Amino acid sequence: MNQHQVAFINDKAHEMREGETILSFIRRHHGEGYVPTLCDNPLLEPFGSCRLCSVEVARPGNGALKTVAACHTPVAEGMHIFTDTEAIRRLRHNIVELILTDHPLDCLTCEANGRCELQQVAARVGIREVRYPAGRNHLGRPKDESHPYLRSDLSKCINCYQCVRACDEVQGEFVLSMAGRGFDNHIIKGLDTSFANSYCVSCGACAQACPTAAISDIFQPAARSATETVRTVCTYCGVGCNLEVAKHDNTILSISAPEDAEVNHGHTCVKGRYAFRFYNHPDRLRSPMIRRNGQLEAVSWDEAYDYIAERLTAIRAEYGPGAIAGISSSRCTNEENYLMQKFMRAVIGTNNIDGCARVCHAPTALGMQRTFGTGAATNSIGDLQFTDCILVIGANPTTGHPVTGAKIKQQAMKGKTLIVVDPRRTELARHATYHLQLRPGTNVALLNMMIYYILKEKLEDRGFIEERTEGFEELRRNIMALDLDAMEAVCGVGRELVREAAVAYATAPNAMSFHGLGVTEHYQGTFAVMQIAALAMLTGNIGRRGVGVNPLRGQNNVQGAADMGVQPNLGPGYLDIRNPEMRQTYEAVYGVSLPSEPGYTIPGMFEAAAEGKLKALWIMGEDVVQTEPNTDKVRHALQQLDLFILQELFYSETASYADVILPAASFFEKSGTFTNGERRIQRVNRVAPPLPGTKADGEIITDIMNRMGYPQLTYDPATLLEEISQVAPAFRGVRWERLGRNGLQWPVAEDGTDTQILHTETFKLGKGRLFYIDYQESRELEKYGEEYPLILTTNRGLEHYNSGSMTRRTQDTDIVGEDLLLINPEDARSRGIEDGDKVTLSSARGAVSIRAKITDVVRPGVLSTTFHFPEILVNQITSDVLDSEADCPEYKVVAVEVEVRLREGIP
Amino acid sequence: MSRNLTSLSARKGLSENLFERIGELSEKEGAPSEEGLRQLAEEFLMGPANLYGAASFYDFTRPENKDIKVYACSGSACLLAGTQPALKARLGAFFREEEIGQVCCLGRCHENAAFHYQGRNYSGQDAGKLQDIVDGRHTGGQDQYEARAHGRSLLTRDFPSLDNCRHTLAGILARGPEAALSEAILSGLRGRGGAGFPMAVKMKSCREAPGAEKFVVCNADEGDPGAFSDRYLLEQQPYSVLMGMLLAGYITGAESGVLYIRAEYPEAIVRIGQAIAELEWQGMAGADILGSGFSFRFKAIKARGAYICGEETALLASIEGQRPEVRVRPPYPTQEGLFGKPTLVSNVETLACLYHILRDGGAAFAKIGAKPSAGTKLLSLDSSFARPGVCEVEMGTPLATLVDELGGGFRHPVKALHIGGPLGGLVPVGMIPELTIDFESFARHGFLLGHASVVGIPEGYPMIAYLEHLFEFAAHESCGKCFPCRLGSVRGKELLQKARAGECAISEALFEDLLDTLEKGSLCGLGGGLPLPVRNALQYFQEELKPYFSQTQIAVQ
Repeated sequence: MNQHQVAFINDKAHEMREGETILSFIRRHHGEGYVPTLCDNPLLEPFGSCRLCSVEVARPGNGALKTVAACHTPVAEGMHIFTDTEAIRRLRHNIVELILTDHPLDCLTCEANGRCELQQVAARVGIREVRYPAGRNHLGRPKDESHPYLRSDLSKCINCYQCVRACDEVQGEFVLSMAGRGFDNHIIKGLDTSFANSYCVSCGACAQACPTAAISDIFQPAARSATETVRTVCTYCGVGCNLEVAKHDNTILSISAPEDAEVNHGHTCVKGRYAFRFYNHPDRLRSPMIRRNGQLEAVSWDEAYDYIAERLTAIRAEYGPGAIAGISSSRCTNEENYLMQKFMRAVIGTNNIDGCARVCHAPTALGMQRTFGTGAATNSIGDLQFTDCILVIGANPTTGHPVTGAKIKQQAMKGKTLIVVDPRRTELARHATYHLQLRPGTNVALLNMMIYYILKEKLEDRGFIEERTEGFEELRRNIMALDLDAMEAVCGVGRELVREAAVAYATAPNAMSFHGLGVTEHYQGTFAVMQIAALAMLTGNIGRRGVGVNPLRGQNNVQGAADMGVQPNLGPGYLDIRNPEMRQTYEAVYGVSLPSEPGYTIPGMFEAAAEGKLKALWIMGEDVVQTEPNTDKVRHALQQLDLFILQELFYSETASYADVILPAASFFEKSGTFTNGERRIQRVNRVAPPLPGTKADGEIITDIMNRMGYPQLTYDPATLLEEISQVAPAFRGVRWERLGRNGLQWPVAEDGTDTQILHTETFKLGKGRLFYIDYQESRELEKYGEEYPLILTTNRGLEHYNSGSMTRRTQDTDIVGEDLLLINPEDARSRGIEDGDKVTLSSARGAVSIRAKITDVVRPGVLSTTFHFPEILVNQITSDVLDSEADCPEYKVVAVEVEVRLREGIP
Repeated sequence: MSRNLTSLSARKGLSENLFERIGELSEKEGAPSEEGLRQLAEEFLMGPANLYGAASFYDFTRPENKDIKVYACSGSACLLAGTQPALKARLGAFFREEEIGQVCCLGRCHENAAFHYQGRNYSGQDAGKLQDIVDGRHTGGQDQYEARAHGRSLLTRDFPSLDNCRHTLAGILARGPEAALSEAILSGLRGRGGAGFPMAVKMKSCREAPGAEKFVVCNADEGDPGAFSDRYLLEQQPYSVLMGMLLAGYITGAESGVLYIRAEYPEAIVRIGQAIAELEWQGMAGADILGSGFSFRFKAIKARGAYICGEETALLASIEGQRPEVRVRPPYPTQEGLFGKPTLVSNVETLACLYHILRDGGAAFAKIGAKPSAGTKLLSLDSSFARPGVCEVEMGTPLATLVDELGGGFRHPVKALHIGGPLGGLVPVGMIPELTIDFESFARHGFLLGHASVVGIPEGYPMIAYLEHLFEFAAHESCGKCFPCRLGSVRGKELLQKARAGECAISEALFEDLLDTLEKGSLCGLGGGLPLPVRNALQYFQEELKPYFSQTQIAVQ
């Protein structure tokens, strides 16, 4: 005790920390509930409105007792704190009594009964009656039930401001505010409107923060009857938010965000918190089906398994294992992905295994492997607080990765430099110090310009370059010979703005980059990733906190699927299957010899099917018809297959082409692990058993493996992780029981030590590689640009997730119910398009009909839309161009034209 | 207070100040339009809710007050003088009922019958000229009152010429900021806003706070009903205030000075604006002042009607365009103030004193008055005195001297003086001989010198009604952030109202619980200060108040 500073709580000495508040000091030593509070929230800054945390203190050398609020008064050495004196008890009682003079005393019928913090505090301070005569009150305030998820009953508001502060400090949306003055203070949404009419993004942070039932969500009342909560990991993006799922009798009642989650700190988005009702939706597939004579017939699992085993065996016998392919799923667990690749490689005997990383971040994995040696984020999201400059390229995280997006926005609002490279004026672009609004498809040109200015202004980190990289001189020679006039014209961003942004990035003590599909889904996707890596290396922004190259992975487990070997050329842990020694690692564990020839990528599979070379395809949970580019080509390919097995939750666009449909189970119905975009392997815990008639994907694959004669133990994440740790070097120390509440970031050493930051000393390749890459216009524009002069770029909306198979079966559709085409006012005017018009959007592939929304979010010449709704099926018109290196389709650059099709009211 | 909003507001800072923009949006129609708020929110990257929330706080921008055309003063002095019922009757001839609003104190306490119309103040006999006022033939103007001194005078004597001031300033700038700080320390100057905090300690803390950008903010939101001594300084002695700010900037390292002047003082805003222009013209403000390398720019901001903005953290939030709600400390403004930067917030009179201290030396100032209350103090006397006006006395002067000599005694029988604003002490006339005008004497006797406004409570004015007025004032002006003040001020008012109307007597135990809750639980001095005059009344006017209270005990569990 002697070395520590101490202060006293009720005459007992405790070790104190410099700068902490009295409340945190007390809580560290006596636990959360020791001092009552109504406005304190661990996610928010001290506020000091309820005054219930008042304590009496005596400072050393001054015996006089003073009443102070514990939540915002710093503890001082030698201070004596009294938490429960007669005076304090009286004060707390009297404050709560005052609150109750303006609060409906209808606890028994209140939806918050049992979880209401006011109720708990009132019970604790012992309120028996309210002594004040009836006076002015706000009990008549109307309820707001306008929103599909959120509602308010402000007669129950105690004015603690937690909702307002959460909307500001957690989400950063500023939908809520206090209005009025004094006794008439009241919470407003927007300009004193309803939730539905406000700019609310439905994250639910306010409802989670509210201590009473003033703001709640439609699920909270039912959550009272929860008998159990299960912590699991969200499936709606690569952020990997932890969810606390409240349930009763295997029915999910509500979801909240655990405050101790390192990934999401008590926050989540509308999808994670509210879009869960798909899981027991009546549309769920409940029985295996086999197509006979063109009709799908429900069959037993045994019959389906027999049929599949028989047909696969026959096709392999006739055409060889290379005629069979599998597409695994990034929404499934690591263990399931591992099994799927193992099935293809060890049971079928082919490397024809790929996953949806192909259509999103395959260029990231490849680009970062070529430059650093490891195809994964170098740093962690938590590093945001240590960085000085944030560069966001081709990503719209407030929509696609909302919790990370909110964190970036929080940093930007507080004044950190933010550079956004995006053709659209995204939410982050609004907040950016520099918004480089380039023409879609010109990332490489723009990044070359940035590199040019960094070198021209001699801002490169010479020491880092010399010590840790190779290829600098060649890069430099080429870059300095760049035709700036041409590049400026190509990307459509003024050189001065590019220079300023480059200088800001290069001169920041710590600069951190994030990128998304706006980088990868391009003809030069891999190359752009390599340049982002070059930017980081040239400026020495690698290997410490607050720097690095950080892809925002799209799906919840797309990192994990790649880690597990769902790639036609690499096995689990990224070992090259062409290398006999590496293959040997797998063979030793699998007990069979494996094929050495790399297999088909997803686009390759469709090509091969169309050409008749691929005969059987097994897709685990992907709606390729809706999500792959150029739908007609995909449909045609599927029609050529002899056997098409589809494992799905719902009957999808793709299901119409399946020969066998296997009803799978959602992430709520299984255990395993997901790996998020910062390489964090987290436990997914089963909340409920699979719906009757369905099976978890891992179980299905295991059954088939056994049915085809390969002995595979029953699906169990712990056992499988143990096996994975034997073959994947980065997983060496990963064990189920070690993952705990917040997971481990790979690489995990034998002893369980994990890794927050990669490349601290050396790169996996030894030295980092710098390359010069010449900008090349997409073939799509070269070929069709004249006939179709506008560029369409597709993206995701906040409320829906990819094909929307899950989110479209929730009330999210009440918020966003259709895909809209965003068009600049200038382009709209010249084509006679008005807001809300149905328009025909056409490309060289075909045309779709879609409603137009006029907005300056897109610049002239650029259109954008989402692809969530099968009614539109926008991928019917997207392009065939693939990334030159990694086969990722170029969704982001489609040559199109648009014209009015129908105006409401006019036939 | 939101750090995000602070930072977003800071991007435009003082030049395109958000608070002023909200105010401008309201000028035309009395409250901002929805479209205006939306555009402003987009420009500042905030939510429309934030700006609506801010606008809805102030008397002069809140949508509820949109239709109000004329504001009658509801301050203590006008209330006690009894001029307002007649005034309202007269106003009623020209305005519909919903066009007549209330504003808490226009600083015309010396002649009362005060009202505010189209950005101008009127008082005294003006109510008789309403037809001319409405027709635009009479526009009011500067009111007349005396400013007298007893003993040495610093603040009320004629300000020397600007040439003389330039000479003084050059001398101070030549000696350097450390020397200036030393003089300030030596002077023992304590804040005149009410709290009496040592000025030099604050300046030192701001000076030592890390940061390239700092601010000096002059708190010219003299909201205490009954007080008009700051108004006097702003209108009659603007250069001493501005020079004090400039020198505070010099000492702390701030190059920007903001005067936050209440909208209820339109003449002060005009006069300060002229004085700033004059100083800039003379090269005594702006860039590189007198070739010293020191730059200081002034900015006068017109407040929009909220008493709580006199509280420093609320004031800073107000300038940022946020709701002026009191925030927790630490961080203190000297560490994290305006736009998150180190800021010295000081009262008008304190800053004016600083100029005189640096001109004459700290020791000279320290010699005046009664240690540890050094220097002189301004007091404002309301119309209950035979000679109302502003008085300057040396600290330590007997209160009786002020009342009898400077004030010339009372115009009509008075039973108590309310000194130091609505949150100051209620001094029964019998206690006048016991008190001297300094912080210590007042504190020792259970009163508060505060900002030293003096309002006389007439013999015939019921104390129960005055207490109700005090609670009503607190309820009207509470920012509503902390629970005790938001709820307690209203419940206290209701208890007193019901007791006065004979509906039910107040439980003494409950009332004591309420005062204790306000006193110990409130976040700032508004709720926390209210119990003082109430307790004074309960102590000294026990007999008069007794019929309204009952001793029925309701035990706290």
